[in-house]
Amino acid sequence: MAAFKYESHVREPLVEGKKDYHQVTEDIVRPIESSPSKLWWVGFIISVILLLFGVYSIYREVTYGVGEWNLNKTIGWGWDITNFVWWVGIGHAGTLISAILLLFRQGWRTGVNRAAEAMTIFAVMCAGQFPIWHMGRVWMAFFVLPYPNTRGPLWVNFNSPLLWDVFAISTYFTVSLLFWYSGLIPDLATVRDRAKLKWRKKMYGVLAFGWTGSTKHWQRHESLSLVLAGMSTPLVLSVHTVVSFDFATSVIPGWHTTIFPPYFVAGAIFSGFAMVQTLLLITRKVLKLEEYITLEHIEVMNKVIVLTGSIVGIAYLTELFISWYGQNKFEGWAFMHNRLDLFSPYGWSYYLMMGCNVLSPQIFWFRKMRRNLFVTFFMSILVNIGMWFERFVIIVTSIYRDYLPSSWSTYYTPTIYEIGFYVGTFGLFFTCYFLFSKFFPVIAVAEIKHILKKSGEAYKPANEKVETESTEEFYHQVSHHH
Amino acid sequence: MAIKEFFEIPKKFKTWSLALMGVGILAVVLGFFVYGTGDVHHKTRFWASLLHNSVFFLLVANASMFFICATTLAWGGWQMSFRRVPEAISTAVLPLGIVALVVLLAIAWGGHHMTHIYHWTDEAAVEADPILKGKSGFLNLKFFTVWTIATVVLWYVLGQKMRNLSREIDEKGFDSAAEARKYIWKNTVWAALFIVWFSLTVMSTVPWFWLMSIDAHWYSTMYSWYTFASSWVSGISVMALFVVYLKNKGYLELTNDEHLHDIGKLMFAFSVFWTYLWFSQYMLIWYANIPEETVYFNSRITTDHHSGAYTFLFWFQFVINFLGPLLILMRRGSKRNYTTITIMAFVIIFGHWLDFYQMIFASVSPEHVELGWLDFGVAALFVGIIMYATSTALTKHPLISKNHPFIKESIIHHT
Repeated sequence: MAAFKYESHVREPLVEGKKDYHQVTEDIVRPIESSPSKLWWVGFIISVILLLFGVYSIYREVTYGVGEWNLNKTIGWGWDITNFVWWVGIGHAGTLISAILLLFRQGWRTGVNRAAEAMTIFAVMCAGQFPIWHMGRVWMAFFVLPYPNTRGPLWVNFNSPLLWDVFAISTYFTVSLLFWYSGLIPDLATVRDRAKLKWRKKMYGVLAFGWTGSTKHWQRHESLSLVLAGMSTPLVLSVHTVVSFDFATSVIPGWHTTIFPPYFVAGAIFSGFAMVQTLLLITRKVLKLEEYITLEHIEVMNKVIVLTGSIVGIAYLTELFISWYGQNKFEGWAFMHNRLDLFSPYGWSYYLMMGCNVLSPQIFWFRKMRRNLFVTFFMSILVNIGMWFERFVIIVTSIYRDYLPSSWSTYYTPTIYEIGFYVGTFGLFFTCYFLFSKFFPVIAVAEIKHILKKSGEAYKPANEKVETESTEEFYHQVSHHH
Repeated sequence: MAIKEFFEIPKKFKTWSLALMGVGILAVVLGFFVYGTGDVHHKTRFWASLLHNSVFFLLVANASMFFICATTLAWGGWQMSFRRVPEAISTAVLPLGIVALVVLLAIAWGGHHMTHIYHWTDEAAVEADPILKGKSGFLNLKFFTVWTIATVVLWYVLGQKMRNLSREIDEKGFDSAAEARKYIWKNTVWAALFIVWFSLTVMSTVPWFWLMSIDAHWYSTMYSWYTFASSWVSGISVMALFVVYLKNKGYLELTNDEHLHDIGKLMFAFSVFWTYLWFSQYMLIWYANIPEETVYFNSRITTDHHSGAYTFLFWFQFVINFLGPLLILMRRGSKRNYTTITIMAFVIIFGHWLDFYQMIFASVSPEHVELGWLDFGVAALFVGIIMYATSTALTKHPLISKNHPFIKESIIHHT
């Protein structure tokens, strides 16, 4: 029944050009079947080099100890934990897009969900590195796992939000991975069925778990997606909530504030979408997928960015206001002297954060800007810088001047190995992403087909007849059909 | 089968709304003589009850406009078949806003001699208290008055603009997609303005002024978002009640189980969301255990320094605002069942009404829970006003916006 494939002609198509089912498969799967471009190799090799630099930095840190970093007496968490929170935040957009937007039935998610989910998984992998290597004696890392052991009374501290983090992030990682992979299965089967080389057929055959595309398979696939979406939705909120607890459960002025959980989640989605924009703007260009990741997709994501950026803005101002309103001297000091005062040692970072996260996204109130690729790309980088500084501001400006003024003098700057570790995670992230874009369909082929007849440009004219009908006529048609 | 365009208020409905208002006015008058003329504690009791109900129901009615603006900005289509219902509910912001303004300004300007609600209005106390003195740049009568008036007026004016935009297209539809798109954009501009003002009021300043300042020393950055969540989920429930009522009376033909299912999902989701904020605020204050923060929960759940009078209420609303909706609304079938949705909507509204009750009364009278005829009576007044204003608004314009570019999407909507 045509009516059920209807969507208002006011809406822009989500798949441009004259596409049928076959063409969709061709367009998206072809990059996997041909050898990678020169540009791909350049990018991949740079990523691997960065990764190696990271490995060396960690080698230094493990061999010579955490002293290889410039952490000092009051700043026990510096770049390391900043990077951890930053990467976890980035890991939010993927599951938000796949789970929450699935529940909200947002058709545009189909163009971006696969890449965003992959990004999530790689980002969480990067995030996990930081607390692990920060332990110093990393061979003891398994101590964070609570299991019946021979260490006598030595157990993990269940009261510590740092331990909750272990649970929250590993759960999130597991469910995100399952979600991503189960979505991939039908597409992997498509790649398998098209494969001409024997090894390719075999490899994708194993990966596709014997998917045949039978009705039964689809039925189970759909219900699994829904169940996983239901499970992931609270997880999207819980991960960054627990990360915020790392700070907010303490009594450190600047860390202890009740708005942290929802505000961290909003910030995470904000930075996650910025990273999705960065990646997809490049991906669509390099893999020539502009007809699937359209200006409409980019515009919608920019709307999410201005929304979440403004929510974060309200949270910043709320915190600032309450630090004055509360009339608590220590809280007031943390905000007024250590942050708001531009000429205090780290004052610049507070303004950088405000500028990048709250002011600059306001440009996306304008449609022209939301649809401008250069502006979008520039903004996506700016937001990522801003969100990095948000964590830096929270961590460093809250602890660099503690209650003992004698320990105030040391200005914290990272060593080359601290920076190297961070750069190394970029290497890890992009190495994974390059491999992913080579071996997997970066857009969910099956899901694009699902919306094609409703939102594809080629199918839009068929709906024009519906537009000429009156609402009553249309209603009668639909209800008689039932 | 023609579509019934106009709502006619059933006699019974009208009688009920007038009766509830009558009971409410009676309660206010009686309350005034029993409490309002007594000593300052009695007066506090009387005015706090008015404050509780007027703020709660005003925020709840205004949540309908938030629903309209949020769905407009998101280019939502599914809600079009019943969008006239939240439009009608939001007209109640006018009468409720006027009542709330009178109550808020009376309490603030009545000062310390009239009630012990806003401690910061007591000039002598502020002079002697460095913390209150420090806050006086914000907590002062002039700012309170100007901001409160601006808040309510702009809610109504911007809401009215949204309603007018909706009615504008009742006579004539659109000839082309471009024209329709222009209309949608115009809607998003005004919806965005409303949302911005909403954020500057409901999601930040207004709960600080109207409610948090009752505990003039205490503060929590979560407070406003928490208050928003409470009134928002109640607002969705009010919408659900009217939709079900109209369906039962044979109106809203284009709305079906699918739409109700989605409203049910929102009731479920935002009940969980409220709990999330509830837990976050409570847990963080409990964990850090800083005296100037825990003082708030001392009078609500502990018996250490207080009678523990509110302990039951505090946990009870956790049960009816979280466990109830979680367990009952989780099933698909229950979200598509008129009776279940109706019962759960009542439960949620009542639960959050109780939440607002403890937010106010555990601060103004921490030793005793005096929940009684006065509170329910005053609540009847506000329920009556919402019923009357909504039903009147529903009669004035078609129940279905038949020319809206998204109405057909709403007709074929399925979850």
